Amino acid sequence: MTVAALGIDAGSTTCKAVAVDADGHSVGWRLESALPRVEAQTDALLVALALELGAADGVPVVATGYGRKLVRAATRDVTEITCHARGVFADLGTGGTLVDIGGQDAKVIRIDERGRPVDFAMNDKCAAGTGRFLEYTADRLHVPLDDLGPRSLAAPRAEHISSTCTVFAESEIVSLIAQGADVDEILLGLHRSLVSRIVAMVRGVGLTPPLLLSGGVARNDAIRELLGRETGQPVRLPSAPQLMGAYGAALLALELTR
Amino acid sequence: MHDTIPSRSGALAVAREQGRAIVAVLPYHYPRALLRAHRCHPIEVWGPPFEPGDLGALHFQAYTCGIVVKATSFLVREGFDRVDAVLVPHGCDALQGMGSVLGDFVAPTPPVLTFYPPRRARPADRAYLVEEIRALGRRLAEVSGHTPDEADWAEALAAEEAADAALADLYHRRGRLDVDDRRFYEVVRAREYLTAEDFTALAASLPEHDGAPDADGDVGLLLSGIVAEPLDLFDRLRAMGARVVADDLATGWRRVYPPSTLADPYERLADRLLAAPPDPTLGAPLDARAGLLVERLRASGARGLLIYDVTFCEPELFAVPVLRERVTAAGFGVLHVEHELGTTLPNQTLTRIEAFVETLR
Repeated sequence: MTVAALGIDAGSTTCKAVAVDADGHSVGWRLESALPRVEAQTDALLVALALELGAADGVPVVATGYGRKLVRAATRDVTEITCHARGVFADLGTGGTLVDIGGQDAKVIRIDERGRPVDFAMNDKCAAGTGRFLEYTADRLHVPLDDLGPRSLAAPRAEHISSTCTVFAESEIVSLIAQGADVDEILLGLHRSLVSRIVAMVRGVGLTPPLLLSGGVARNDAIRELLGRETGQPVRLPSAPQLMGAYGAALLALELTR
Repeated sequence: MHDTIPSRSGALAVAREQGRAIVAVLPYHYPRALLRAHRCHPIEVWGPPFEPGDLGALHFQAYTCGIVVKATSFLVREGFDRVDAVLVPHGCDALQGMGSVLGDFVAPTPPVLTFYPPRRARPADRAYLVEEIRALGRRLAEVSGHTPDEADWAEALAAEEAADAALADLYHRRGRLDVDDRRFYEVVRAREYLTAEDFTALAASLPEHDGAPDADGDVGLLLSGIVAEPLDLFDRLRAMGARVVADDLATGWRRVYPPSTLADPYERLADRLLAAPPDPTLGAPLDARAGLLVERLRASGARGLLIYDVTFCEPELFAVPVLRERVTAAGFGVLHVEHELGTTLPNQTLTRIEAFVETLR
């Protein structure tokens, strides 16, 4: 196992690093919560991964994510749009329409048959339609993050949450709690609200099947299920949805060696 | 080449020394030579971008564009004390509202003049516009106390048309100019406030490459929108490996008015305004605008269209879906971003633009 290239995704919520061999296969990865000092954290993360895998000095590194410009070890930086597209394309072997829901933004990326992003939309001005929306409301309802999906899917019906805005949605939650609404039904309503926002973005870009899903929120089964229902398309997930940005970055770093 | 471009305050002082009345002009189509003939000098007010919007926000809804809100704040705070009149062209509903608010509610000491360019170019619209320019001239005569004679008109038309020709020439020479995008637009935008002769000299001073220009494989973009603020945008584009090879900016190419051969000065001014490049604030058919944008994308070597709008810019936003559809169908990438005037460029906006550039490589 020889490390040929490294990719690092300095995201708003988590920081991820992936190492690939000369064939572009993932040979190791690390993931940790994002810290305020991006430079120091990414330095340490890359060193730790390189030591663990015995990577040689001078291995090319491509950085992505919102902190990509601050990664001192980076040979190059590339936006998360391109990196996610490249990573998911390599992992699943197909283009299509990728929905990536991260901690602070959501992206819809149309990927061509060569793995290149050809159009995209981003929701980045507020927490609506992002992982933060779920995190915030889960906290408000005292539900562990990992329980959000199963409990939502178990609800027999959904409360109607009309707002996709995190702040306004919280007001609606407070009202529903005051009216004695069931927590799981509120959760299902929240998931529907988030998915409606994402589906609007998908329609804006145009849905070219297959529908692909990545990002930390892809771990939530309810999102995947509802996204499929709303679009009428089966949803495909890559092997490690949260690592696709870093994996794509590593593949782009590998290209620098050729 | 001029190392530093005079500021608006500097240009205002120069015009005062020349004995001209100062008219603060809101965006963005108006008969400039009319002002000069009446011994007035226009200083355009495009915010300013970093002006606090507090005083303007008292008069407008939260969804009013930053240019109007900030310009109102600026005028109320200090602008009215520095000018002899304010001219508000009816470019959009927000500007029309501003004209009404200033004239009817704020009621400052300097008179608030309005100007309504027609939205079409039929003979009746042309006749109306000529009369509108005459009416504006009468108001300007009250401001400056000067009614132009034939010699005034000849001088004003010659000076302003020379400056307009210098602006057109900048665009014509663009590919040969040895300046970066930021400098190019600093010079283009100096047309908003410099005297005609100072602008003409400034434009002519821009150097050209000795040999063939080195594009370094940059991705060429056609930049559309009202105003490209902050100017850091151009530095950031360069860092991303992109450059602006053409524009459709209200502060730029949309004001490259073609010359006119008409003898009557009012008809000549109307003729030139009506012949402006396709513009939503002049009611240009969207189809014509989209078609011309595609032509210009092809001719300039641009690979994509970056529509960079000020938030809540109603005439621009209406056009975006059609422009996107037409330009995409012609095989070019399109990215639309909105920017809050007066803020630093958000990381998210820059990421979108950078990703767009990556898709065009």
